[in-house]
Parts: sequence; structure tokens; C-alpha cells
Amino acid sequence: MTEQSNILSDDEELLNGLGSQLLTHPSSHPQYNNHMARLTKRWTQSSSPSSSSSNKKLQLPHPDTYKDAVHVPIDKDEYTSPGQLYATDSGKLFHAGKILIILVGLPATSKTLLSVAITRYTRWLGVRTQSFHISKYKRMNDDDGDDKNDNHRIPLDFQSASPKTPEGKKFKRDAINNVMNDMTKFFTETQGQLAIYDALNILKSDRKELNDHFSSKIGVKVVFIESIMNDIHLIKRNIEIAIQDTEYNQIDKDVAEIDYKKRLEINEPLYETMSSDEKVSYVKYINFGQQIHVINNEYGYLINKIVFFMMNLRDKKGRVYFARCGISDKDKYVDDELLNEEGLKYSKILTETLLKRLESISLHTTNKSEIDSDLPLVVWTAPRKRTFDSGKFFLEKGIPVRKRNQLKQMIPGVVADLSNEEIEKLYPMEYKESLKDPYHYRFPRAESYHDLAVRMESLLLELEHTNKNVLIIAHESTIRILYGYLMACSCVELPTLQFTRDNIIEVSFSPFCNKVTQVPIKM
Amino acid sequence: MGFHTISNDKDLKICVFMVGLPATGKSFISQKIVRYLSWLSIPVKCFNVGQSRRELGVVSPDAEFFNSQNEENYKLRQKALSNTMEQLFQWFEKEDGTVGIVDATCSTRERRQWIIKQCEMYDIKPMFLESWCNDDELIMKNIKDINSTSPDYTDVDPMMAELDFKKKIQYYKNVYESLNSQTDSEVTFVKLINISEEVIINKIQTYLQSRIVFYVMNIRIKPRCIWLSRHGESIYNVEKKIGGDSLLSERGLQYAKKLKEMIEENAPGEDLTVWTSTLKRTQQTAQYLNFKKLQWKALDELDAGVCDGMTYEEIEEVYPEDFKARDEDKYFYRYRGGESYRDVVIRLEPIIMELERRENILIITHQAVLRCIYAYFMNVPQEESPWMAIPLHTLIKLEPRAYGTKVTKMKANIPAVSTYKEKGTSHVGEADVSNKKNDKFHNLLINAPEIISPVASSTNLGKFGDLSKQ
Repeated sequence: MTEQSNILSDDEELLNGLGSQLLTHPSSHPQYNNHMARLTKRWTQSSSPSSSSSNKKLQLPHPDTYKDAVHVPIDKDEYTSPGQLYATDSGKLFHAGKILIILVGLPATSKTLLSVAITRYTRWLGVRTQSFHISKYKRMNDDDGDDKNDNHRIPLDFQSASPKTPEGKKFKRDAINNVMNDMTKFFTETQGQLAIYDALNILKSDRKELNDHFSSKIGVKVVFIESIMNDIHLIKRNIEIAIQDTEYNQIDKDVAEIDYKKRLEINEPLYETMSSDEKVSYVKYINFGQQIHVINNEYGYLINKIVFFMMNLRDKKGRVYFARCGISDKDKYVDDELLNEEGLKYSKILTETLLKRLESISLHTTNKSEIDSDLPLVVWTAPRKRTFDSGKFFLEKGIPVRKRNQLKQMIPGVVADLSNEEIEKLYPMEYKESLKDPYHYRFPRAESYHDLAVRMESLLLELEHTNKNVLIIAHESTIRILYGYLMACSCVELPTLQFTRDNIIEVSFSPFCNKVTQVPIKM
Repeated sequence: MGFHTISNDKDLKICVFMVGLPATGKSFISQKIVRYLSWLSIPVKCFNVGQSRRELGVVSPDAEFFNSQNEENYKLRQKALSNTMEQLFQWFEKEDGTVGIVDATCSTRERRQWIIKQCEMYDIKPMFLESWCNDDELIMKNIKDINSTSPDYTDVDPMMAELDFKKKIQYYKNVYESLNSQTDSEVTFVKLINISEEVIINKIQTYLQSRIVFYVMNIRIKPRCIWLSRHGESIYNVEKKIGGDSLLSERGLQYAKKLKEMIEENAPGEDLTVWTSTLKRTQQTAQYLNFKKLQWKALDELDAGVCDGMTYEEIEEVYPEDFKARDEDKYFYRYRGGESYRDVVIRLEPIIMELERRENILIITHQAVLRCIYAYFMNVPQEESPWMAIPLHTLIKLEPRAYGTKVTKMKANIPAVSTYKEKGTSHVGEADVSNKKNDKFHNLLINAPEIISPVASSTNLGKFGDLSKQ
């Protein structure tokens, strides 16, 4: 365990750690310089593409399947993310202190999904978050290095919250020790602010151990989120999803299902639901957010913000599709034109391609399970004429097409309709600045990507809310933001993402990570 | 930009119906929501059923009026509710409102079902917001305040008012059915237990609803003070330059010392927490204060981008178009490479939420940021807030109350330059402002009761921000 002296108590934390220093008398600060124009920007420029460490992460353009970066460990020193309102030197935000969220709940209560979704959202806000999944620590000794979920190979007793055999006891102990070690390191060594621990934690004694260690010894605020499911359909669906995961291990579906149900059965009688006599802070999350019960609501901004997010979170069944709009004659920002011949042709093929894709998915999945059975499609477009026009063939087929104001493209300001060369010539200073931090830089009269991300937050949450297949036809700038959120891109990569008219980008959701597929549009 | 672009959909119209016994802080919460949403530029209005009842001629009823056994009066009360809803739907339709809040008691399940049906006809899904309270201290406090908070009791003897009010509560209690997660599981509702000690959230439907819940979760009802001050006069202020990160002038340093005295005098023995920005001039101003201090990046001055470090004269010369554009729409104008007031409002979200949760905070920050914070507490519209005069070397005390915020201004009596710039000129100076008596928002602060330190005593000098008129 790390030495206690290195760790600040919660109170000191509030004073010292969070983007602030304890203010001392100026006499001990001879380095107060003479006055000068502010040199430090609100945005540090550490996210500039020239910095080598971040450059390595770029995998662009167009890898066949893009990777969801939600599990990539956050960079130790530099981390600025798309929705962040401001940056601090220590990397911590909102004077919220360090927080550990401990999930509680039986198998098949969407704990993994919840932990990953909160990680995605808080990282987007700029919080240094990491989720810790006990399943990753439950490895058998004969582990062949296969990264996939191999729960089925673990004896049933080992999956109990309270194993009977000595081997099972040791197995549980080892896993917990390892995960606690890693979480402690996360807080003390890597400047982490928020850890989310995804495990059953259905025993009071387990919870007490965690709370004692992190709250009393490490000085981290501990909040429990208990996921309760009493809706039989939800439980059934969760088991189906879990089994789909085990399919990767070529296990017979029926065997997997029986195994999974057994795990549920052995743990159900052990389950001690959370109550106020545990004297801890907790939130009850019932039937996937249908009801949320916040108890001892004294958590502060960040946790309330997470509850806010959970109000909007739904168990996503549909997929999200991104497509550019068709082209028009002049292709200028100022004109707001209708589509031309080619643009119309593109829209038509886009419509056919997507409908075919949806059809094949529904054929493909109904054979196996009922998870993705026919969901309705809705089309969201930006309010500009040719973008809305690009959805017209969907409209003809009776598919709803909605204009969304939030999808309005990034306002280009003075650089509207200028090529990079022209910008460099006309606005040399601005151009140079913009290269340093393309995500945060605003040209005169323009919006930055960051402005765009902040104004699109409501749409992000609505996307979390929607239980349909959604096709988004929009400008590249807005697609970058939405895609960047769904795939946890950093603000270094986000402005460089490319979306062409050759593909529809499909994002599908699964509890652990989101997946991207390209669907070619053949003109 | 930002939050006000949320609604482009008819299903995003939101109705919030307050539920709860009298004296549980319903009006307080409704007013808070109005304040918060209008600060975010979302069209919001509160409709008060008591008001509708008074319009029906029942101006100052005694408790007996609220006895549900009395059928005739019950009908009158029903009529008052349906009139209120009529007004609400009219407002949605004709004035394109987004969030309507109905300040009523909605105390029975039957009545709530009736409301849901009415709303269905307009394709609106109502959300109920219940304030449930068993904190006797809190209730008693609200009962004691009844003379000043309810128009029904304005001219009634306080003792009589209290007795009558208690009786009225009893009549409500007889029929009251609290929202319940089992029986009301299909209803969209939020139940606040003892003003957000505990919160039950059920079936939230839309983003905007969740935003409102997020906000009320942060509300606390304890009486408290918020102290605001700009930093002391800085060298840049003297040189008439904007932005920068300069140190305090000699007089600014004097203010820093004086600020300690003023706080000791006006808030003796209080344990304040001091919030500053990350800029030196605010930290220097806070240097003599012996309290816990936190720096917030979010409290940094509005970023003037390329104009940072220039005087207004220079800006007018170098960027004449920008200079004009800013005067025309100061709230939305964004400096080249910098920020607008709107941007500041958005980045202040964590500050406002934390400010709602905490007690006794002293904020030392900058002119534009203070304008935004002040506008939030005083409900100043966005066309006006960027033009408010907030002079240097002045300590402002805010006391948020149910129907408005009491504000007291304390001058340190240390001369400082004025940094106020009037519309259409590049000159700086406040002298012109105080002459413009008819301009109520410029003068908001100037009209606030003023205490020249050290003759300080803040009692009975307050002025209420005009929230109740909405």
C-alpha cells in the first residue's frame, strides 16, 4: 500500500490538489512579476499535435474498424477532452476531490454498461476517469492471454460473492486485492480523479472493506451506485447480452445461458441491498433509470452531474449512423443551396444502402437472439437546405426526418469558404495559432470545436436517450463531435477525423465498448 | 448558442407542477428554477394558483376556505387551477414559452390525474415536483415568514396569521397524498425530501427535465449570505487596459487590507470560504483574509482574446468594427480569439451549482464574471447584465430569499478609477452612469442601499430584487 503521508486528506485535497494551490502570503512569493498581458491561456496548448506523446495515439485516416478509446488509460500528464469547460494545472476539476464510485448489484444488472457509460461521459467532461472491472481480474492460472471474457471457465463457486471452497475464497481475495491495488495506484500515482469499480459488491462486509480502505485510509470520497432490476424483461435482455459476449469464446449458447443463470441463482440469496444503516452515500438506480433514488444528497457538483447523466442514459438497442450530406453546385457556406443532380443521386443511394444494411442486420440477428430485432429508424439532419434535402428519400419512404438545430455546423466566421492556403495567406497569424490547438482555436467570428461540443451536449444526451436507429446527416464538424463522444476521442484526434461521402459510419453499442463499421456507399 | 438552442421540438415543452403542503418551500423552488432557466436564456414562466384565486375575488381567505369539506370553495379552487392552466397553455401557444411552472399544491392523486389529462390534450407530459418535508424547524421557519411571503397574509396580525396558517396546513394534510414510487410509478416526478437531502427521481423523459432535476438537487434552503467583490484596483485598471494578469495598484492593496476589516465588521465570527480566480489580482486582494481559499479557473475574467491588454481607445482604433459590434450586442459578442458573456455564463455552471449548495462564500473575481453571477441572483435580463455598473472597492452582500434576493452594498471609501464603459464611447467613467436615473439596470447596484464602511450595519437596509413581478 502506498504511504499515507503522500496522500492528502479530503480537506487538504480541497485546498491543494484541485487546480489550485493554497494561497500564501505574497512575501513568500517574490516571483510576482511585473504586470503584463495574460500569457497563460485558458487552454493549455499541451494538446497541440506537435507534442510527440499524443501523436502516437493517432490512428488515422480510415482504419477498418476504429477503436473505442474509453478503456485507454488516460495520459499521466496531459489530458484535455472535448466537453471540458476549463483546464487546471493539477488535472482535477470542479473542486470535487477524488471520488470512487462503487457499483453494487447482482449479475445481469447492467453494471458494466453503467460504469463504461459514466467513464465515457465524465472523460468527455474532462475528468480523469478510469473504470475497473473485476471480470478482468478474475483470471484462471491457466490463462492463455486471451483478452475475452472467460467467465464460463471459472468454477461456479468462484463466481459467488461468498465462495465456499478454500480455492474459491483465495480466488476472490486475490482478485479484490489486485483491483484495490490498482485503484489505489490510480489515485495516488496517476493523478486520477474518478475511479469506477465494477463488481458485485452485494455483501455488506465487502462494501465496508472498500469504504474503510478508500475513504478512511486513502482519503477518497466513496459513493455507491446500486443497480436494481426487478423488471423481468430487462433481466432477460441483460442475460442475452452477456451470452452474446461469451459467444466470442465459441461456447454453446445454451450452456452459457445455464451457466449465467446459475451465477445469478447462487448470488441472489446472498444479496444484501443497501440501506441507510451502512452510513455511506449511495444512489439506487432502479430498472435502468426508470427510478433513481438519491440518498444523503451531499455529494457535490460532479456526482450530481453524474446522476444527471444517468437520468438520460438508456439501455441502447439501436445503432447510430453518420453520413455526410449530398453536394450542391457551388458548395459554399454562405449560399445554403439545394442539392444538385449528383447530390440527389448520392441521397438516393445513401437511402438504399442504409435500408439494406438495416435489413441485413435484422435478418442476421433475429436468427440468433431478439436483441436487435426491428427497431424503427429516425433521421436527424442539420437545418441547412441541402442537408435536410439529403434525407428526402427517407421521408418518401415514410421514415421520419427531423431537423435538429444543434446539428448546425461549426460557424466558420471569417474563414468561411476559404481553403487552407487562402486562410494562411489572408490570416497568417490566426492560421499559425489555429495549428497549435485546432480543437480550441476560434477564428474571428467563428466557433471552435469546443464551442460546438458544449452547445451539442443536449444532443449527445438525447442520443443516449433514443431507443431507435438514428441516422445523422450533417456537416463533418458536427459528426466529429458526436463520433468523438461515442468513441472517446481526445481533442487532439477529433479535428482530424475524416468522414467522406464514400461511407456510412455505423456505431453499435455494447456494454463494454462501442464498435464502428463502415458501410460503403457505392455511387 | 448553448442551452437556449435546446428546443426545436414541440415535445420539448415542459410543464412542472409543484406538489406539497403549504410551507414546504414550493414557491422558493419555483422561483429558483425561473431564475436559473432565464439566466440560461430559456423562456420560462411561473404561474401561481394563489394568484388566479385572488383574481377570482378570493383575496385574503382564512383557513376555512381550504377545508375540502366545503364543496363550493373546493369548486372555486378547482376553477383557480383550471384558469391557471389556461394561462399556461396560452403562454405556450402565443408566446412560444418553453418551461412553465405551476406553483400550486396538487395535493391529491385525483387532481394530479386531472392535470395529466388536461396536459395530454396539448400533447404535453407534465412533470411533478414534490417538496416533502418533515424537518419541523424548516416548516416552522416558513410559517413564521408567512407575513412577508404570502400576499394572503400581508395585512394580518402576525400571531393570527400564524394560527390561521397552521390550520390551513392541517386542512391540506387531511387530504394530502404524497407521490409514491409504487402507486405513481407511471408518472414523471421528482420528490425532494427535506429540500434535497434525499431525492427520488421517476421516469424522467427529456433532457430539459433532467436539467431541471439536476439543478434542484443542488438547492439548499438554509438562510445564508454570499459576499461578492471585485479585486482591488489593478495597475491595468489605472492604465485603462483590459484583461491581463497585472498586480494591484497601491490603492488596490489598501483595499485588500480594508476588505479584511469590512468582513470582520459585517460578518463577525463567520467562517467564510473565499473563492478567487486564478489571476494574481484576485489572489492579492484575498491575501489578508484568514479563511480557506479556493482558486477557480472558471472565475477568470472574460477572455478578451486579441484585445487583451489594450485600452478601449486602442480597441476602437485597431478593431473599429469589433468595437461597434460589441456595443450592439454585448451579451453575445465574442472577442476575437476570446469569449462572450454567453461563454462565461456557460462556464460558470459548476460555480452556480456549488454556490447553491454551500453557505457563506466570499467571491473575489472580475467585472464581467461578477455581472454574470449578480445577474443570476438578481434576475437581470441578458440585454442588461453586461451593462451593469459594479464599481471597484465595493463589497456586495447578497441574501437569497424566497421571493428575491436582498442586496447590500458596502463602499470601502478608498478611491479607485472607474472601469465602467458606457455604450457608444471608449471613455471610461462612472460619473455619467449615476446621472442616468431612469435606466433601472445600470442603477440596480447604485440604488442598492449603501453603507460606507466603517458605519456598517446591514439591518433593514435591504432592497428586494423584483422577482415576484414576473
